[in-house]
Formats: sequence, structure tokens, C-alpha cells
Amino acid sequence: MYPKSFEYLRAKSVDQALQYLKDNEGSRVIAGGQSLLPMLKSRLYQPTVLVDINFIPELREVKLGSNGDLRIGAMVTHYDVIENSTIRENAPILSSTAENIADVQIRNRGTIGGSICEADPSADYLPTLMALDARVVLKTTDSSREMKVEDFIQGPFETLAEDGEMLVEVIVPPSKANYRVEKYARRKADFAIASVAAIVSLSKDGKVADARIATGAQQDKPHRLREIESALKGKASKSVNLEAIIGPATEELEPLDDLHGGPEYRKHVLRGMLSRMLGDLLSGKEA
Amino acid sequence: MVTVNLKINGKQYSEEAEPRLLLVHFIRDALKLKGTHIGCDTGHCGACTILWDGKPVKSCQILAVQAEGANIMTVEGLEPEDGKLSIEQESFRENFAQQCGYCTPGFLMMTRYLIRNNEEMTREEIREKLHGNYCMCTGYQQIVDAVQDAQRKYFATKK
Ligand SMILES: Cc1cc2nc3c(=O)[nH]c(=O)nc-3n(C[C@H](O)[C@H](O)[C@H](O)COP(=O)(O)OP(=O)(O)OC[C@H]3O[C@@H](n4cnc5c(N)ncnc54)[C@H](O)[C@@H]3O)c2cc1C
Ligand code: FES
Ligand code: FES
Repeated sequence: MYPKSFEYLRAKSVDQALQYLKDNEGSRVIAGGQSLLPMLKSRLYQPTVLVDINFIPELREVKLGSNGDLRIGAMVTHYDVIENSTIRENAPILSSTAENIADVQIRNRGTIGGSICEADPSADYLPTLMALDARVVLKTTDSSREMKVEDFIQGPFETLAEDGEMLVEVIVPPSKANYRVEKYARRKADFAIASVAAIVSLSKDGKVADARIATGAQQDKPHRLREIESALKGKASKSVNLEAIIGPATEELEPLDDLHGGPEYRKHVLRGMLSRMLGDLLSGKEA
Repeated sequence: MVTVNLKINGKQYSEEAEPRLLLVHFIRDALKLKGTHIGCDTGHCGACTILWDGKPVKSCQILAVQAEGANIMTVEGLEPEDGKLSIEQESFRENFAQQCGYCTPGFLMMTRYLIRNNEEMTREEIREKLHGNYCMCTGYQQIVDAVQDAQRKYFATKK
């Protein structure tokens, strides 16, 4: 399968990439290419120009900001997210999430920025980044803005990125609280039928100090389950009746219907995962 | 056309490529290294696996022009010297880890990487790390045997 012809521009710096995007109508960024190549081959996308951002070293950096926030370059690969010790120390849930993505080969090439911009409803990173309250930094030749991942993702394969805009960095507030992150798929490399990322911290007296829970592969975009979060917060962890919370809180969901699973099935799987994962977190079991 | 300069199996190549040409076709058709196979063309089957700076990637999911300056190893590069088999090849042969052989180049490249970059792997771990490679013939048992065997042989050379 051959993509339609396009011009190829290799950017050596962020500024040069932004200039290429601005000067060429119908251009598109190529990051790891693991989602883009299939789109090009099937000709769902037919860009006139591809701007390659693989040769820009600064996009591969992982830094710790002065306020303790993790700053992860757009081109940091899934492999790097698993291996990088700064990420694992400050946001272990993110490293665990990357382990669930695709396979060894795809993880060596696919990037965190590419996965966010692709906005696949079943992408593994998205629920985790939402639970972490992560933000993205978006740049054009003459602007720079920041927004929550939760706001950036609009729907299936749709984001708020505008023409000429590039994602350069992901900002992750550190979180060392107990967590669970799981995906359910028929085969491990498949996209999820249901996925859950949950971060729960308990106070000394056994109350739920904080709970942040997000799900993916259910609706047109991953989202936080705020009804469950607020039902848990402040409660004594031992006396929570999870079933009574999860049932009603997921009642309104209208999950996807595709060849991987119908809506009722997806909801059933999600409820099972929530009840087991939150049960473990409330009892204080470490991951 | 764009000129691509890259190193494959220690040898420097410089060849023209159209931007839309996939790396796997560049390797097979422009450079005539036919050992790397193409199966699914969608990033699933792993037949096109090569090592890029020592790490496995799927060459049907990369454009040839992106490989500028890359250091690549394909299945042809496994042979330590003419006519001798590498540890990986030897283990696949001894364990009957192939039938039609179509998937074999991909599995061999994964084996080269995995046995050198992991502590002793259990069968479960091997299966988990190989799930990006499909084999339609063997049922995987002998492939797992071969990887385990290759790792044992590799560790023995380190002693
Ligand atoms: C066989 C297979 C199995 C997979 N399984 C999973 C899985 O289980 N879970 C999962 O989460 N993912 C999975 N993926 C997807 C994989 O994680 C991709 O790596 C990821 O979705 C895209 O990242 P990329 O760097 O390859 O982006 P690309 O494919 O290069 O780009 C994706 C899109 O984002 C745009 N883009 C990329 N970077 C930027 C940027 N910095 N600024 C602006 N726009 C940008 C591109 O123009 C393109 O439209 C799988 C992929 C394959 C092929
Ligand atoms: S041909 Fe590349 S993964 Fe199947
Ligand atoms: S030996 Fe035939 S596909 Fe693996």
C-alpha cells in the first residue's frame, strides 16, 4: 500500500518545524508515524507536505520544572516513558500505562505527543493523563498556549490543535499516590475494550483524601468519572459501598459500539474493572 | 527524490528514495536485501522487524527518508562469518522453530534483541515480549523454546 505522494521536510529545530507548518498549507507533522502511516497508506489522510520532527533533540527531553512538575517532550517514546527514572519516580502511573501500549517494536517508535494528538478514544495514555491533570503546551510561529489534556481532546481523532500548531511538551504534576491502571483487550496489543486509570490517596485516619478516576474506550473520548470521585472523597475507606456508587454513576454512559465490543459488554467490563481496582485502592493494597 | 544515507549491517549505503517509499520496500527493492519480509503492512505481524540503533522497530511503519543517518541491522547481519550461523539462527534450527519461515526474520531480530537486553526470561515473559510478532504455522511453542535456548547459549558465551 502506497501513500499518495507528498513533499518531505526534515525539521532540525522547533522553530523550523513551526515555520514549515506555517508556510505549507495542507502540511502535517509526522512523529513516530505509528498511527499516521496506516492513515497515509489507506489514504484517509493525504497531506501535501509532511514535516518530520524526529530530528529535533529538544523534543526528546524529560525535565523536572522548578515547581516539581514533570515536563515531557512531545517526541519522548513509549519506551522512554517506561525506562526514564525521572518519570517513574514522579508519575509511576504514567510508566505503568506505557507498558500497556501495543508491543515492543511500536513502543520503540511511538511517542507521547503523537498519541495525544491522535486522540484515539481507546489510547492508553489519555485516561492516565486526565487523572493526573496533565496539560499540553502548543506552539505556532508566534504563539504559545497551555491547556488541560482533558480540554484538548475533543472527540474521536479530534483535538483543539489548529492549523500550524504543534504540541511541544506535556506537563505532568507529580503524583506518588497509590494507583491502578489497566486495560482490557482480547489480545494485549489491541486497543482497549475498556480502560481505567485511578489514583487514590488515603489519609492517616483511613479516609479518602483524594480520588481521581478516568476511563477510556467507552465513549467518543476518554473522561473523568467525577460522580464516583466525589462520592468517595472524605468517606471512611472501609465503609464505602462501591457497588452502590458504580452502578448509578455509569448508568448514563453510552459506550462505543464496534467490532471489538458492543455497548452493554463494554459497560459490563468497565463496572467489573472499577469495582476490583477501586476495591484494592480503598483497602490500601500497594500496586 | 531524496537521497538517503544509512548504515545497514555495518555497510554504508546511499540511495535515492521517493518520500512515500516505506523503509521495508527501500531495504528489499532498492538495496536488494530480501531477508526482511513484509506481511501485513499495518504494523501488526512483525515480519518486517529490523534493529534500529539496536532496538527493534517495524520497517513497514517508517518512511525510508526518515532513516537518514540510521544504523540498522537486518537478518542478513546476524551471520557472524560466511556460512556460520549465529546463536539465534542455530537455536531456531535446532528447535524446529519454523515451518514456512515467513515470520522467521522478524522473530530472529526480536530474539537477537531480547536475549541480550533481559535477565533470564520465563516462557511467559518471552510470549509477552513477542506479541508483536505473528506466526501462522508453529503455534509458538517451538519459537519460545528457541528463544530460551538462544538466551542460554548467549549467557554461556558470557561466562
Ligand atoms: C499495531 C498497533 C498497535 C497499537 N496499539 C496501541 C495500544 O494498545 N494502545 C495505544 O494507546 N496505542 C496503540 N497504538 C498507537 C501507538 O501508540 C502510536 O504510537 C500513537 O498513537 C501515535 O504516536 P506516534 O508518535 O506514532 O504519532 P504519529 O503517528 O506520527 O502521529 C499521529 C497523529 O498526530 C499528529 N501529531 C503527532 N505529533 C504531533 C505533534 N507533536 N504536534 C502536532 N501534531 C502531532 C500527526 O500529524 C498525526 O495526525 C498502536 C499502533 C499500532 C500500529
Ligand atoms: S509487515 Fe510490518 S508489521 Fe506486518
Ligand atoms: S513459520 Fe510460517 S508463519 Fe511462522
